[in-house]
Amino acid sequence: MTAILVKAIADLRRRRVQAAVIFLTVLLAIATGTMALTLMSQTRDPYQAAFQAQKGAHLQVAFHATTDQHLLTTTPSIIGASASGGPYPATTLEFKRAGQTFYVETFGRDNPSGDIEVLNITSGRWARANDEIVLTRSFSELNKISVGDQIKVVSAPTTTMLTVVGEVVDIDEGSADLSSQHAWVTTAAMPALTTPDLSYYLMIYRFPTDPTSSQLQGYVDRLRASLPPGSISGSVNYLLIRNVFNITNQILTSVLAAFSVFALAATVATVATLVTGIVISAYREIGIMKAVGFTPAGVVGVFALQVILPALAACLVGIPAGTLLSQPLLANSSHALGLAYVPSFSIPLDLLLLAGGLLVVSLAATLPALRAGLLKPIAAITNATAPRGTSGRRLRVLGARLRLPRAVILGIGDAFARPLRAVLTLVTVLLGVATVVVAVGLPRSFELINNSETGAGHYQVVVNRTNAYPDADVMRILNAQPETASVVALDGENFTVPGITDPVNSRLFRGDSSRLGYMVVTGRWFNAPGEVLAPASLLHDAHLKVGDSFTGTIYGQAIQLRVVGEIYDISNLGHSLFMDYATLPASIPNSIPGRYLVTLRPGSDVSAYVQRVAALQPDLIDVHASDTSIIGPVKIIDSVLLAIAVVLVLIGIGGVFNTLLLNTRERLQDTATLKAMGMSPRQVMVMVAASAALLAVVAGVLAMPIGIALHRVLNDVISASAGNETPPSVYGVFNPIELVVIPLLGVAVAVLAALIPGRWAARTNVVEVLHSE
Amino acid sequence: MTELVRLTDITKVYQGGITGALNGVSLSVEEGEFTAIMGPSGSGKSTLLNLVAGLDRPSSGTVTVAGSDLGKMGESALARFRRDRIGFVFQFFYLLPNLTALENVLIPAQLKGSVVPGRAEELLDQLGIKEVANRYPARLSGGQQQRVAIARALINKPMLLLADEPTGALDTNSGEQVMDLLAALHRDGQTILLVTHDAKLATRHAARVISVMDGRITDDARLETTEREATDVIRMRGEETRR
Repeated sequence: MTAILVKAIADLRRRRVQAAVIFLTVLLAIATGTMALTLMSQTRDPYQAAFQAQKGAHLQVAFHATTDQHLLTTTPSIIGASASGGPYPATTLEFKRAGQTFYVETFGRDNPSGDIEVLNITSGRWARANDEIVLTRSFSELNKISVGDQIKVVSAPTTTMLTVVGEVVDIDEGSADLSSQHAWVTTAAMPALTTPDLSYYLMIYRFPTDPTSSQLQGYVDRLRASLPPGSISGSVNYLLIRNVFNITNQILTSVLAAFSVFALAATVATVATLVTGIVISAYREIGIMKAVGFTPAGVVGVFALQVILPALAACLVGIPAGTLLSQPLLANSSHALGLAYVPSFSIPLDLLLLAGGLLVVSLAATLPALRAGLLKPIAAITNATAPRGTSGRRLRVLGARLRLPRAVILGIGDAFARPLRAVLTLVTVLLGVATVVVAVGLPRSFELINNSETGAGHYQVVVNRTNAYPDADVMRILNAQPETASVVALDGENFTVPGITDPVNSRLFRGDSSRLGYMVVTGRWFNAPGEVLAPASLLHDAHLKVGDSFTGTIYGQAIQLRVVGEIYDISNLGHSLFMDYATLPASIPNSIPGRYLVTLRPGSDVSAYVQRVAALQPDLIDVHASDTSIIGPVKIIDSVLLAIAVVLVLIGIGGVFNTLLLNTRERLQDTATLKAMGMSPRQVMVMVAASAALLAVVAGVLAMPIGIALHRVLNDVISASAGNETPPSVYGVFNPIELVVIPLLGVAVAVLAALIPGRWAARTNVVEVLHSE
Repeated sequence: MTELVRLTDITKVYQGGITGALNGVSLSVEEGEFTAIMGPSGSGKSTLLNLVAGLDRPSSGTVTVAGSDLGKMGESALARFRRDRIGFVFQFFYLLPNLTALENVLIPAQLKGSVVPGRAEELLDQLGIKEVANRYPARLSGGQQQRVAIARALINKPMLLLADEPTGALDTNSGEQVMDLLAALHRDGQTILLVTHDAKLATRHAARVISVMDGRITDDARLETTEREATDVIRMRGEETRR
């Protein structure tokens, strides 16, 4: 064993560059894999821990303001809840601060603790006086509002000033960048803040064990059956909130997991290439080793150890590095949940990664090393290297027909002289290029989805009105502006859809809504009352398809609806309905649009428009430019994708470099001969670069369809996690020029990777090389 | 006769001065000469040939070939020099294994960018190996491989053909054939500088035999003159070897 170790270490010293390639490749792959697995194993636990610690509500149900409060206090026993909160009086509060308008669902609640939904105060204190309000930390941080700030409530019958006295973390709602937010005032403060049309009661329930989705649906059905019709106006369960909370991490871990497999595959290819190359070039040495007494297993051990030792070093660095790199994302999760950040890692998981990483590398190294073990000593001694085939002849003939320079012809002929090595190199380059394709495409797909959700390019100004200001007056103001091209008014109401537990949010449009930029996956936009569009998740859960009709219920009234299209909409994880305002029966109370999407004429000054219109009724309407910026979690995913693409490209460069290094060393005698015959250093470099370029061209051509397919798969996974199907337009984000440029960039990178081996080859000392033979 | 090669006070030291390969060697070779350099292993004869080929640079002294001082040339210029003016035949042939015989022969011309149609085939025919033109080196005998190597060395019509132990890896019969080939080339006017340790071969074909020992020229005999008989050279070579 000592002899094997001594020989392996001595060989490692001799092959320092190759050891460095192995170290870096394994380091990048294992660090990426560690990040993915750490996130996967740790992201669900913080939510669960916080949900238990803060006694989160399994079910939140909104009841109409007209519902008998006493009746509501009996609802926990109807559904067998072990703990409950409420009925809390609630209203949608609109307030202004620093020229901006905000909306929060505000509840009258006198203390933050109890048997259910403990609100974790992270800053300040709970509200004691009627002019005090408590906000969520997520909302405060997103909108830069601090404890001590004053806000001006504009939705109440009389304008009121409130002081922010505390910030809390509420486990029963998503983060502010993904969902609407709650706020709390004292119960006594509620009457003065309540807008009659926007008031309701909230009940929250907790059960002895975590209920399933169907159990929750059963509870809501039971409540609905035991209360007067139309009492329930909405409900939210903990599974939805957990999904909303986890969606970013789920997408991140999906992306990381997919590319960790890529990185691992590229590493295996690089390791196998390297060991194969070493064995081929060390035939004579293998023969000598056997002649002096190394057993076949010993010979295999020497070659395998040369890879395992740097791989071990890489794992010892890469696993802690990957764990460290995953911490900011975990800290972000903990922060959102109001948990103290505790560095999260799992020693068993790290040990598993170490063992798994070494096992994969060992297998990748041992299989090609077996060839060394099986060699007959005399054959090995007689042949300094393994005989090369004549692969590449057709390529050379083709190159000659194309009248390429001889150095280029020789280079492209060499590229496939060792077919297995060429294939393994193709794999590493292919994975790198495919990852780049995804890294280019996915952010664009995200941007398209974002544009669809925010109406980017379709409307420029959003106006919200208070209940005190009539819809007709808003329309009059907007239509009076010369820049106004069109106005679409928007309202939201909750529908009950057969087969769906929770009330379904609807978007009701008045005006020409077909040009707002929403993405229709299949079917068409509605063009008559009663026609609706819905995302895939709703269609699936309600067992509907485009063309089907169903009966929806709103305020206890049944309405016949027909699905005319499937729409992409991530709000409420795919449970929404889009329809014309005229679909609502006239008898529906209080349903008047409160939001207006304004499309300006081309060339209009958006900010001047916003300032002018806002100044007309500063307290009654909120006017702002449409916010089309990408949300934070998507930016994180984009950044991670970019980082992964860099990692895979680096591994790809390592693979090309490694192969060229092996080819160059193996062909040292040929290169020396060519130099002796008059090949110039420049021609030698061209020859080596041509070899790399051909491999990259082939890999690039293969990688493009693979990258595009992977982009498609990831889009589908991400869309599905938000309850949607991917619209065709989201796939088609590549233009034909890019499809050519990306592989060409791969070629350029491969040629750059060829520079060092090329220079070494160009500097070959003819006398030394030929003399040593 | 025109002087083609001139070595002036050449020294070549390897391994930081520990080993001296050549020590104050001066020599000139005229156009059309067939010169053999003889000496035992390690005497410096191959080093001398490498310096003339521009494959190596002297530690001191100058090497001039066809009026060009090789010491003043950069790597690229030396590559062009070898490509255009020198043909080199190695002991172990050094054919490119993944190219056919014909492709191997064509390489220097293709590197130069001046392939004369039919020249390679003509050379192969002339050297008696036309029928193996499309075979790979692994399927050729040693003698055939060396003939391919000679054809390759001649493809660009070099002014100087250098041969380093061209028969060293061949059996006697094949070696004789190769030497006959070189002699025939010489008769057609080719200047040849041959390194060999085989005195019989050298004296049978070369008109001039230079003996090298421990990095110095110990003898320089022009055999077609009366200066020294071939047998003297052989005798002297044998005595030096015994010392």
